[in-house]
Amino acid sequence: MVSFSERLTVAPDVLFRLVGDEGVLLNLNTTLYLGLNPVGTRMWNALTSASSIQAAYDALLGEYEVEPAQLRADLEEFIQRLLGQNLIVAGPAIEASRERA
Amino acid sequence: MTGVRDLLETATNGPCGFEAGAGSRYRYGVYGMVISSDTPLDLPSDTHGGLAQVECVSAPAAAFLAATDRGGDDRDTDSWYQYVSLRDGSTYVRWRSIGEFLVATDGRRIMFRRFDNASLESFQVYLLGQALSFALIRQGFEPLHATAVVVDRHAVAFLGSNAFGKSSLAACFLEAGSRLLTDDLLILGESGNRILAYPGPSRLKLFPKIARRFLGQDATSRVHMNPDTDKLILPIEEHRRQGRPVALDAIYALAAPRDACRTPYVRVESLSPREAFLELLKGTFNRRLTNQPRLARQFSFTARLTDLVAVKKLTYPRTIERLPEVREAVRADLARDARPTLNVQPGFLD
Repeated sequence: MVSFSERLTVAPDVLFRLVGDEGVLLNLNTTLYLGLNPVGTRMWNALTSASSIQAAYDALLGEYEVEPAQLRADLEEFIQRLLGQNLIVAGPAIEASRERA
Repeated sequence: MTGVRDLLETATNGPCGFEAGAGSRYRYGVYGMVISSDTPLDLPSDTHGGLAQVECVSAPAAAFLAATDRGGDDRDTDSWYQYVSLRDGSTYVRWRSIGEFLVATDGRRIMFRRFDNASLESFQVYLLGQALSFALIRQGFEPLHATAVVVDRHAVAFLGSNAFGKSSLAACFLEAGSRLLTDDLLILGESGNRILAYPGPSRLKLFPKIARRFLGQDATSRVHMNPDTDKLILPIEEHRRQGRPVALDAIYALAAPRDACRTPYVRVESLSPREAFLELLKGTFNRRLTNQPRLARQFSFTARLTDLVAVKKLTYPRTIERLPEVREAVRADLARDARPTLNVQPGFLD
């Protein structure tokens, strides 16, 4: 399981587009298309734009009325599925000082 | 040097005396493209759109033999159809008893040979359908597998694979006064914030009883699409044909026949943007070309189309008697707000 201190980025050769308020993804290497519903789309955006998974988790916790443990479990499951499809890559978090710069 | 140019030079210098590109003196307009040819084709000469050009050049058997002898990495062959993706990026396709085609890597030229027993009508169906689709995709277009008619000055497209009933439904609309825009292959282009649909050849491929019922056409003297089908190629008169591009109002994705036969009802369903996107992807005219640049372009095009055009699911029993009811259901749906209602459930990946 990936650590919440890590950062997620969109894998190379993966395309993401918003259609309406839903997301669609294409992995060019596997030619696999996937759809995200609005909640999944928001999670995707939060995870791939935040400096760390923890930062995405904090942002989502502020947006949704959800138990922290439930959100953590949902996020972990979501991340596993994304990793399983090679749609995202885990790496070191962006340091706060670098992020500010 | 390999590829079409090389083959053409070989043919030019060969015993057959074929001269590459010698006098593409016939110019036609179809799908918004300018089609030039060294032999006459049964196509309109109007050239609205000018989106791109494709040159069609007849060639002898030797030119195609040379191509297939060189082999390719990706091929699919059965008794009816042969496809070879050649190493230089050009594409060879052949239909038994119809003809063979070699599409250049850049999609600007199609070399063709009509087999002896093939009618011009039948040959053109394959030249201007499957073979041309390779050229169009090579030139950056994304053809959809759809038939389109004009209703109240806007194009309405019926999307679906072979045998989904696209042409039959279109014929039913023609009976009620609509004009045919295109049959089977649909080319779209963006103009401002709208999508334009371009006219295809003025013919419909129909089974005889559909032709008789909706077009009043006698099937006895008509040309078959190929030797293995009863489907006929029916020319569409000028007054029933749309010759200029028109704005696309809606796309109806037809339910698969196996799903449709389970329902006694005519049903029009709104699709979520995600569902619409997937229906449009499934509705591509050409699934052979899957290189990354094409897939990336198709992905962007489909997302953009989803943003701009209403896409709905149309399910109905597959009987001739019910088609007028389907037509009226579509008309009624068009009269309502064309944009689909979002219908999404919370959750994760599909």
